[in-house]
Amino acid sequence: MRGLILGVAAAALLHITPTVTLVERSEVVSRLLPGADRFTAREIHLSSADERRLHDAAGWTPPDDVITFYLGKRANQVDGVLVFMRVDSPHGPLEVAVGFDKAGAIRGVEVTKATVETKPWIVEALRAGLTSQYQGAAVNATPAAAPTVKGKVGTMSEYMAELIDRGVAHAGAAYRLFYR
Amino acid sequence: MLYDLRRSDARVRWLVTLLLATLGVAYVFGAWMVGMYAGFTPRSVAATYVEPVSMNMAMPADSTMVVEHDVTPADMGREEQHQVDRDLLIQDTHVHVPMYGIIATVLSVVALGLAIPRWMGFALITLLFAAPWLDFMGMWLTKLVSPHFAVVTLAGGWAMGLGYTIVAALAFWQMWRPERGVRT
Repeated sequence: MRGLILGVAAAALLHITPTVTLVERSEVVSRLLPGADRFTAREIHLSSADERRLHDAAGWTPPDDVITFYLGKRANQVDGVLVFMRVDSPHGPLEVAVGFDKAGAIRGVEVTKATVETKPWIVEALRAGLTSQYQGAAVNATPAAAPTVKGKVGTMSEYMAELIDRGVAHAGAAYRLFYR
Repeated sequence: MLYDLRRSDARVRWLVTLLLATLGVAYVFGAWMVGMYAGFTPRSVAATYVEPVSMNMAMPADSTMVVEHDVTPADMGREEQHQVDRDLLIQDTHVHVPMYGIIATVLSVVALGLAIPRWMGFALITLLFAAPWLDFMGMWLTKLVSPHFAVVTLAGGWAMGLGYTIVAALAFWQMWRPERGVRT
């Protein structure tokens, strides 16, 4: 009986995994907005009509109906844009940072947050070169980096790669519809 | 002692075990959620419950608004502060206080079955009910009187965790500790 109780308690507790930071946001800023000497936060507070438009385009609506773009400026000219996207999963949330260059192409993607449980899966997907697949992709292209790591990583890492694809797709839709 | 958990039917002990385990999971997720939205420092709790200034802004009828402001890389790294306005706190109080009352009652019923001195039973029951009172009193005082009352909310939160831990630890120990020749 005691073994059963301990098993139940352990199973309940083991599934609860706190958030871990994979890359600090300040580090992400220097990687995805290189050379910027001034930064502006542009907050888009969506109306219900625009919220529906985004939902129709990407199957997603942002928390509190607010999207925040961080504009990196050099000599008062916008040199790039950065957006942080949270993607929820049954294993906990992850956060993806997507940087766009001034032409609107993806400059880079970083996974900034994971959970204790998902971190090893995400790290495996990243080591397989997942995020390099996004570089230079057009903002209206459907992100498809996950299939490139299929077979090279475990099943859960493949799943994490799909979630990262989803975060990049959400960022792309937000940029396309509300930044440009 | 109204009843004795140590000598109760195995089904009762199993029920209490599962109840405490379920409440424990709920408390852990509760703490996680508090960490995400309000934090565990007086400063972050005060920032969550003080009356938000922006709520008084006149908003145009259902149109997308764009707000721009300069930031530093450090600002970008800072988590956005979740704020609870007065309407939400009214709703939260209405929903949570009865539920906290039921949880405190259930834990108190478990405490009544523990082999502990009478005064300790009184103290434990008082702690179980004081915790939610402190929690919400702190939130309202932070909102209406002073941000310094955030410590009251923190005290309530820790008291809630402490009350549960004491009841659960004593109950698990008293119900399932190995006793030679007595186990059913």
